Amino acid sequence: MTLLSLEKVSIGYARRTIATDISLNIARGDALAILGPNGSGKTTLLRTLLGLLAPRAGAVSIDARLITNISAAEIGRTIAYVPQASAGFFHFSVLDVVQMARAPHLSWFAKPGDRDRAIALNALDQVGMLALVDRNVDELSGGERQLVMIARALASQAACLLLDEPTASLDFGNRILVLNTMRHLKQRGMAILFTTHDPNQARYVCSDDADRTLTISRDGHVVIGPTAEALRPAALATLYGLSEDVFQHHICVSENF
Amino acid sequence: MVRETKTHAWAVSTCQNSAAPRTIAKSPSQLKQLRLRLSPSSRNTVVAKSPRMRVMTHIVTRIVTRIVTRIVTIHALAVAAALLMVLVSLGVGRFPISAMEVLSLVSAALFGGTANAPENADLILFSIRGPRIVAAFAVGAALAAAGAAYQNLFRNPLVSPDILGVSSGAALGAVLGIFMALPLIAIQGLAFIGGLSAVAAIYLIGSSLARTHGHDAMLTLVLSGVVIGSLLGSGIALTKYLADPYNQLPAMTYWLLGSFASVTKKDLVVALPVIVLAMLPLLALRWRINLLALPDDEARALGQDVRRLRLIVIVAATLMTAASVAICGIIGWVGLVVPHAVRLLIGAEFSRLLPLTMLIGGTFMLLIDTIGRTVAQIEIPPGVLTAALGTPVFIWLMVATFRRAR
Repeated sequence: MTLLSLEKVSIGYARRTIATDISLNIARGDALAILGPNGSGKTTLLRTLLGLLAPRAGAVSIDARLITNISAAEIGRTIAYVPQASAGFFHFSVLDVVQMARAPHLSWFAKPGDRDRAIALNALDQVGMLALVDRNVDELSGGERQLVMIARALASQAACLLLDEPTASLDFGNRILVLNTMRHLKQRGMAILFTTHDPNQARYVCSDDADRTLTISRDGHVVIGPTAEALRPAALATLYGLSEDVFQHHICVSENF
Repeated sequence: MVRETKTHAWAVSTCQNSAAPRTIAKSPSQLKQLRLRLSPSSRNTVVAKSPRMRVMTHIVTRIVTRIVTRIVTIHALAVAAALLMVLVSLGVGRFPISAMEVLSLVSAALFGGTANAPENADLILFSIRGPRIVAAFAVGAALAAAGAAYQNLFRNPLVSPDILGVSSGAALGAVLGIFMALPLIAIQGLAFIGGLSAVAAIYLIGSSLARTHGHDAMLTLVLSGVVIGSLLGSGIALTKYLADPYNQLPAMTYWLLGSFASVTKKDLVVALPVIVLAMLPLLALRWRINLLALPDDEARALGQDVRRLRLIVIVAATLMTAASVAICGIIGWVGLVVPHAVRLLIGAEFSRLLPLTMLIGGTFMLLIDTIGRTVAQIEIPPGVLTAALGTPVFIWLMVATFRRAR
């Protein structure tokens, strides 16, 4: 069943439309990589999908209902956002951070109860971070923090995960750890949408035939298609504004990832 | 601490060696028990029945129990300190009343009967020291709570309750009242109104700028607060400059330093309900206020109406700060540092932070006021003592916490 659908959507801000005519359907178990140069509008697209930014035109729907007719809490129960991990301003413990994901399920005056704590612990367990439950988020490494952010998204029990450059500033090992987690969650039937700067990650996570890759070029040209198609050196060279030769060389280096 | 560090290193190595989802274990020997994995069908439901979940629950329960024990101990100590401080503060002063006499007077007042105490002791206890103690405790609790809420709201540890101009507005109101030689009640009223209108002006300017131009709301609020605060500051300076240097100027300086000396029952009847009413929404929403510490997009993605929650917190914190400032003048430091001290003790999670912050803020203010009125011939303004006494305590707490964390 379609979880998230975009119909002829234009994204952008009041004075600047970034991209137009985006149509897309995401079902459970789908993966979608979003590629594009810096400043092309990847984050704008994510914010539109999260209901944080109204589309300039067209319709975004969740479970076949228009996003504008759904409460923020309901969106929060369906789509979970995994931001680029930062230490935050205060030193919350890992459990405190993950429990915050229970907010869309709780009334204004409620605190998370035993059941919410169990769900949070379960989510931490799924990403292998349960042993760090009582540590402060600022004491964790970048990779651990990113996994805690994913655990937080899981604790909201949403069916769809939106990750904003999940591997940015992570070392090679942590990168693989995060990507493996994403792939695993997809196999378990979650929809995974993520932005990335590394085409290889699109190849790795969107490995099924049904998975697609979305590219936004700097002039707002959006292409949605099979990942293999989007990752052709010619297509990538156009996307990033490089000559195909240069691209061919670099893509060969990491072909076997 | 050593044990935890080991656990941590071990958990990391587990993570890097196996594919997701990895198992957890507090030690390699427990790994065998943990091999059993959650079945995919139970992904979104909580099943506490499988052996693996039972082991997991057991481990986590141990960690949680340790944390809870610590929190309960700290709360018990804080409550004991508060009660002791009230008892001491009732007893000491120009007219010392022994602890036994205090207890007998209090029980006589509560349960009837005659108290075994000197003449007039009840008058001093219930008409002079009593209101003053209540005022000091309430103001300390209010300032500390407002500071904690604002630090969370602005995601900035350097923020104090007067970041949005409540103190400058109240100060301008009060010095204008003194300048016009108004009665005390009118001066207090002007201070209260001045504080509220300053915050209202800053909030309206900041939030409308943020809305029309799409800027970060918190940044525009702080900037409006800074510029309007300095405008109010120049108003205060002008009033002081024009004031009569022999009568009015000392009164203004005295007011700006803050004092509980002139707090009466009548002040309390007006100010205390405001403070208590403003505290209720903060206490009721204390878990949800955590979300304000997240970046706006994250909080909104978690379904939180950030703007509404933020407005509620600002209104509540402003009301209680303005009511405090109106009855006792400007007292700094407590609202800035007490929340940090409590964070060092029990962490930043706001639903745990807020009640303890109120308790410790109140106790600390009572301690300051009691010292201020007993150690010297003249009263030492609390604004002077808070920093002088609080700074060494805070540094000690910081050193102790960091040492333990290492």
